[in-house]
Amino acid sequence: MASCRRLSGAGLREVLGPAQGLLFDCDGVLWAGERAVPGAPELLERLRRSGKAAFFVSNNSRRSVAELERRFSRLGFRGVRAEHVFSSALCSALFLRQRLLGPGGTGNGGSRVFVLGGEGLRGEVRDAGLRLAGEGEPAPGAAEPVRAVLVGYDDQFTFAKLAQACGYLRDPQCLLVATDPDPWHPLSDGQRTPGTGSLTAAVETASGRKALVVGKPNTYMFDCIVERFGIDPSRTLMVGDRLETDILFGKNCGLSTILTLTGVSRLEEAQAYMASDSAAAKDLVPNYYVDSIADLIPGLDE
Amino acid sequence: MAAMAGGGTRRCRRLEAEAARAVLGAADTLLFDCDGVLWRGEAAIGGAAATLGRLAAAGKRLCYVTNNSSRTRAAYTEKLRRLGFPPAEPRHVFGSAYCAARYLRQALPPGASAYVLGSPALAAELEAVGVPNLGPGPAALPGPAPADWAQAPLDPAVRAVLVGFDEHFSYAKLCQALRYLLRGGSDCLLVGTNRDHRLPLEGGTAIPGTGCLVKAVETAAQREAFIVGKPNRFMFDCVVSEFGIDPARTIMVGDRLDTDILMGTSCGLTTLLTLTGVTTLEEVRAHQESDCPARHSLVPDYYVDSIADLLPALGGE
Repeated sequence: MASCRRLSGAGLREVLGPAQGLLFDCDGVLWAGERAVPGAPELLERLRRSGKAAFFVSNNSRRSVAELERRFSRLGFRGVRAEHVFSSALCSALFLRQRLLGPGGTGNGGSRVFVLGGEGLRGEVRDAGLRLAGEGEPAPGAAEPVRAVLVGYDDQFTFAKLAQACGYLRDPQCLLVATDPDPWHPLSDGQRTPGTGSLTAAVETASGRKALVVGKPNTYMFDCIVERFGIDPSRTLMVGDRLETDILFGKNCGLSTILTLTGVSRLEEAQAYMASDSAAAKDLVPNYYVDSIADLIPGLDE
Repeated sequence: MAAMAGGGTRRCRRLEAEAARAVLGAADTLLFDCDGVLWRGEAAIGGAAATLGRLAAAGKRLCYVTNNSSRTRAAYTEKLRRLGFPPAEPRHVFGSAYCAARYLRQALPPGASAYVLGSPALAAELEAVGVPNLGPGPAALPGPAPADWAQAPLDPAVRAVLVGFDEHFSYAKLCQALRYLLRGGSDCLLVGTNRDHRLPLEGGTAIPGTGCLVKAVETAAQREAFIVGKPNRFMFDCVVSEFGIDPARTIMVGDRLDTDILMGTSCGLTTLLTLTGVTTLEEVRAHQESDCPARHSLVPDYYVDSIADLLPALGGE
C-alpha cells in the first residue's frame, strides 16, 4: 500500500530523477480559480529544461483544448503544447468517435449526439466529426437517430433537457456517456458548485441506465495519452489534488502518485484512507504528498 | 381466516371468492395508492369507483396514500369527486407534498423556512401548515453565470432544503440548494418527497420523477435525504396519527412493489397488488423465487387483476 510520504530533500531527487514524464491535473494543482499556484509556471519550465515531459489531464469538461491553451498562457504558463492537454471534453469526444464512427473514424456519419454541456464540450464533439442533436427537437425517431447522450458540466441543465435525454435513452442502442464523475467543484471563495456527477445521477436514475464515465479515476484518458505518446507508466508520475479522482486514477493506470495540497483534498483525508480497513480506501492513498507543486522544483537538475 | 398481516412468507395469492370476503371482512381501513390503482391519468379504472362505493357503504375507512408531490390534498379530493369515487375529505388524502409539510413542521425550529425545489402545490401545503418557504418556480438569476449565482444572497432563515417534483429544476436551483446545505451543515435538513424514478403519463410515456432530482442534490451535497414517501413509513405514521388505525386490520392496495407493497410489508399491513398499473405477475414470481430476503419483502399477500375484481365479494352487504 502507498504510504503518503512527504516528498522533500533527497526523496525528491530519488523520485523525480528517474521519471520521464509527469501527468498533472489542472484545477487545484496548477491554478486555483484565476490565479496560478505560485511557482507552478517555473516548475513546468524546469521540467522542460530537464527533458521531462509534462501532460495535463483534467476532468473539467467545460473547456475545449483551445480554451485551456489560452488559459495556460493567460495565467503565465509558457510552452504548453496543445497536444499535451487532455481534457475530459476532448477525451469524451474521442471516445464517442471511436464507439460511433468505428476505428476508421468514418462509419455512419449520421450519428448524432445529444450533449448536456456548454460550448467548449459541444465544440470538441463537433471537431471529432460527430453531429449534435439540437435542443428541443421533435420526438426521437425523426431524422437520424441519436446514438449517444453525453452528460458534461452543464450550467444550463433543466428538467426539460433531462426529459429529452431520457427520451433518447429509451433506445437501448443509444449510449449514455459522462465526461467525469465529480460531484462538485470548489469555487474560489470556499463554496462549491455542482459537478457533472450530480447531473449524471439524475439521468441515470431517470433512464435506469449506468453511464460510461470517461474521466478520472477511469483510465480512458490515460489510454488517449498512451495512444498519442506511448509513455511508460513505470517512469511516469501522476500529480493531483483530489484523492477520489487523481490519486485513484494514478493507481488504476499503474503510476506513482503525488498529492498536492493546494486543492480539494486535505492531508487528513489521505491519512484517514490509509488507516481504513477497506481495500478500496487504500487505493486512494497517494505514494507522496507536497504542499504545492513548487516544492518539486529542488528535485530537478538546474 | 383472518387477514394475514406481517408474519409468514407472503404468497401473492389471487384474492377472490371466500378468501376475498374474509380478508375484506377482517379489515377496517383500506389505504389506496392512486395512479395505476384507481385511475390512469384522467381515466378511472373500470369498476374502481363502484368498488370503493361498496367498501364505503360497508363502513370501511378509505384513505389515499400517494407519492405524487405535485398536487395538494384538496386537488386530490376534487379528482376523486370528478371521477365518481365516494366523497373524501382532505384528511383522508396523504400525498407526499402534504406529508413533507407535516414533517418539516415538526422537524424545523419555529421561524425556520425551507428552500423548495418543487411545485406550487408543495409550496401551498407548506404554507397551510405554517412553514415559510422560498424557491418554487424558475430560478431568479442575479446574473448569467454560476459565478453570479454563487454570490446571490442566502436567506438567513432557511434551515431545510426540500426536493419534490419540479419541472423548473435547473442547475441554478441545484446550486442554490447546495449552498444552503453547505452553509447549514447538519443544521440544514435535506428532505425529499419521494424517490420515484418516473412519473407515468397517460398513453404509456413517462417523464423523469422526483427521485432523479433528489439524487442530483444528494450527489452534489454528498449526503442522504430523508425521504417522506413510500416505501418509507412516514406517510403511514401520518395516517396513524390522524386515524389511530390498527395495522392488523388495514389493507394496503397498490400497483408498485418497491413503494406500495414494501411500505405495507414494513408497517405490518395486509398487502394487495393490483395489476392495472406498472407491475406484472412475472415480476412478483421472480422476487418470490429469489434467494435474497430483501426481495421477499416486495411480495404482496394477495393480488387482483383490477380492484373491480373485489366487487363480487362486496355484493349483498
